Amino acid sequence: MVQTNSVPSASRRRIKTGRIQRQNNLIGYLFLSPWLVGFFLFTLLPILASLVLAFTDYDLFTPPQWIGLNNFKRMFFEDGRYWRSVRATFYYVFTAVPLRLVVALAVAMLLNQGRRLVSVYRAAYYAPSILGGSVAVAVMWRQVWGGRNLGLINFILQSLGLPYVNWLANPRTAIWTLITLAAWQFGSPMLIFLAGLKQIPVELYEAAAIDGAGGWGRFTRITLPMLSPVIFFNLVMQMISGFLVFTQAYLVTGGRPLDTTLFYALYLYLRAFEVHEMGYGSAMAWVLLGVIAIFTALLFRSSSAWVYYESGGGIGG
Amino acid sequence: MSDTKLSRRDFLRIGALTAAGAALVGCTAPTPQVIKETVVVEKTVERTVEVEKEVEKVVEVTPPPPEPVEMRIAWWGGDARATKTIAVIQMFQDMYPYITILYEFAGWDDYWTRLGTQAAGGNLPDVMQHDYERITKWVADGLLVPLDAYVDSGVLDFSNVAEATLKGGKIGGKLYGVPLGINSLDMDIAVDLLEEAGLELPAPDWTWADFEQLCYAIHDSLGIWGYAGNSLFHDHMWKQIHISKGLWVFSEDGKSLGYDDDQISIDHLYMILRLYKAGAVQTLEEAVARQGESVEQSPMVVRETVMGFSWSNFIVTTWSAAGKDRRFKLVPIPRSGDKPAIYVKPSMFFSITKDARYPKEGAMFIDFFTNSIPANAILMADRGVPIASHVKEGMKGFLSPAQAEMFAYMAQVEADCSPTPPPDPARWADVRNNVFYPEFHDPVLYGLITPEEGAATFRKKANEILASG
Repeated sequence: MVQTNSVPSASRRRIKTGRIQRQNNLIGYLFLSPWLVGFFLFTLLPILASLVLAFTDYDLFTPPQWIGLNNFKRMFFEDGRYWRSVRATFYYVFTAVPLRLVVALAVAMLLNQGRRLVSVYRAAYYAPSILGGSVAVAVMWRQVWGGRNLGLINFILQSLGLPYVNWLANPRTAIWTLITLAAWQFGSPMLIFLAGLKQIPVELYEAAAIDGAGGWGRFTRITLPMLSPVIFFNLVMQMISGFLVFTQAYLVTGGRPLDTTLFYALYLYLRAFEVHEMGYGSAMAWVLLGVIAIFTALLFRSSSAWVYYESGGGIGG
Repeated sequence: MSDTKLSRRDFLRIGALTAAGAALVGCTAPTPQVIKETVVVEKTVERTVEVEKEVEKVVEVTPPPPEPVEMRIAWWGGDARATKTIAVIQMFQDMYPYITILYEFAGWDDYWTRLGTQAAGGNLPDVMQHDYERITKWVADGLLVPLDAYVDSGVLDFSNVAEATLKGGKIGGKLYGVPLGINSLDMDIAVDLLEEAGLELPAPDWTWADFEQLCYAIHDSLGIWGYAGNSLFHDHMWKQIHISKGLWVFSEDGKSLGYDDDQISIDHLYMILRLYKAGAVQTLEEAVARQGESVEQSPMVVRETVMGFSWSNFIVTTWSAAGKDRRFKLVPIPRSGDKPAIYVKPSMFFSITKDARYPKEGAMFIDFFTNSIPANAILMADRGVPIASHVKEGMKGFLSPAQAEMFAYMAQVEADCSPTPPPDPARWADVRNNVFYPEFHDPVLYGLITPEEGAATFRKKANEILASG
């Protein structure tokens, strides 16, 4: 082969590799394009559109009309249902999320004891969260908490000669049917807890046992601090999904009775899609985003006080 | 852009094919009873006559050979309605081989979400099923086209339809919806249980005071509820108690409530609370606890109640769930004043949309739906009692007891009813969902606030929303 080019071969190679790299990148983006197109067209664009729509009156049929801050004014000062939905959502987040985490941690600790068939139990306990959002579970939950002659729990109560309770229709009990449903769907935080528990060095427990620490002491002094990053992660994730709760209420109670289960996302949906107030719905969505951001930031702020990272930072060291 | 359009059409076509497959399955299923065998023969005879008539009409309106037409039709409803409607579409296509109909159907909620999206996207079907409460808003938004030209040209033949019946589909003097059937609210009464209690069937002009006493009497003698099911202060009931006083709940322009006297609602609510206290009717809490139950589990079917209010066309479903050995009677809603509480309501409409590419063929289909006896023999009053008198007459021979009861009740209603009120104002859905139930109906019937407080809150908030509409 005759060298006809004066360019040194090393730099030529660099040009070549550059071209190949660019080509590779192009191919890479090409493969990514279904996702990218989907993201820009069906995620980013609607998000930006909803930000604009939040300041309009838009009913899908007629072009949106700019109304400035009116949606927010109405939401905060005129809409009683809005505040009931806020109340129901906070009630849910502050009960269902801790309850789910406690159950998840308790089950994870049971499964961490290395008994036989652990993998079977793990799968069995995880199953409810896979089914969680499904229509079938909601329908089943209606059956469990159903009225007289219909519900499983009322059937048991009545066979024991006790009076029945209209769980789903009583304003005091209805939200608890959804909270118990949330607690029952502890699967994914449980798996994360389980992974976290396996990371805790056994020596710590052995040393503590030798020093005479009891079960409770070992739990509060070793397990909880060592697990705190995982607890923090689970808490943030579960809190966010708690604020967004929709399916369960939509299917099990429909927001009734007396708006006690009218969760924020459900009310947003009803406003946007039942009476076609897309502008109001968008405004509600952006307020929700703000609220979630604030609570997440607060959690992060608080984390330095109670989350322990082995590699420097946090308390002790 | 055209690509997406093509793929959507393909998608619809596939949908149509699959659904047609389902329809075939439905047809082979043993639905028709033995009596209908003879009917089928009659139908074919009538149908040939019908076909000739229709063909003549086509010849004079459009010069042959017609271009192939592919139009879209959409409706809401369950599987039974779909099977019947698809069979009628098939009949229509057999008559006009150049017309292909693509159809879409869904349950009530999904239907409106879907059609709302299509309206925003400018691709509504040619013909869509419409609803009395929503049609005003759709017309106001310019989404539907008037049909009067097709009536004048004879494509839509309403010579056997009462003018009063068509009035329900008119907005601003123009026809935007052809009623597919008529129905009315009614009180379903389980006659077998009533007789067991040794009680008499109420007179057609009975009052709410009679109703209250009957509930106590039933509860005393059978220990079951006198009334259960839909709330006694359902938004329809709220309308009926004002109609019976000669009032309408909305003002003429729809910008405010149309009555000044809240006492009508308040009295009615106190009656309900008395009945709750006596245990003589199903309470709201009991009803909410059973929300979402199937018709098979409903109080009427499982003999937990003697009365329940409903739309007259529901009796067919209720009776078939309850079983042939049961006996039901439809009587008018009790009166609160000196006028009938009931009116004739178009159960639903077919309308032609602004996006229709083939409005004339759409009108032809609507005409077929309205006037063809064979088509209605398949539909079997699924959308209410047919509006054309010759169709009603033609169907008389082969009605089930439930359908016969519905036809008889509607004949009685047509003879003695209040005028059909205008369609609801466009903002009514908002008022109902966000004020009437959550601020008035539910808190009063849960005992959280008094009827007076509820009525005052409702008046204030409802007027605010209506005024902005």
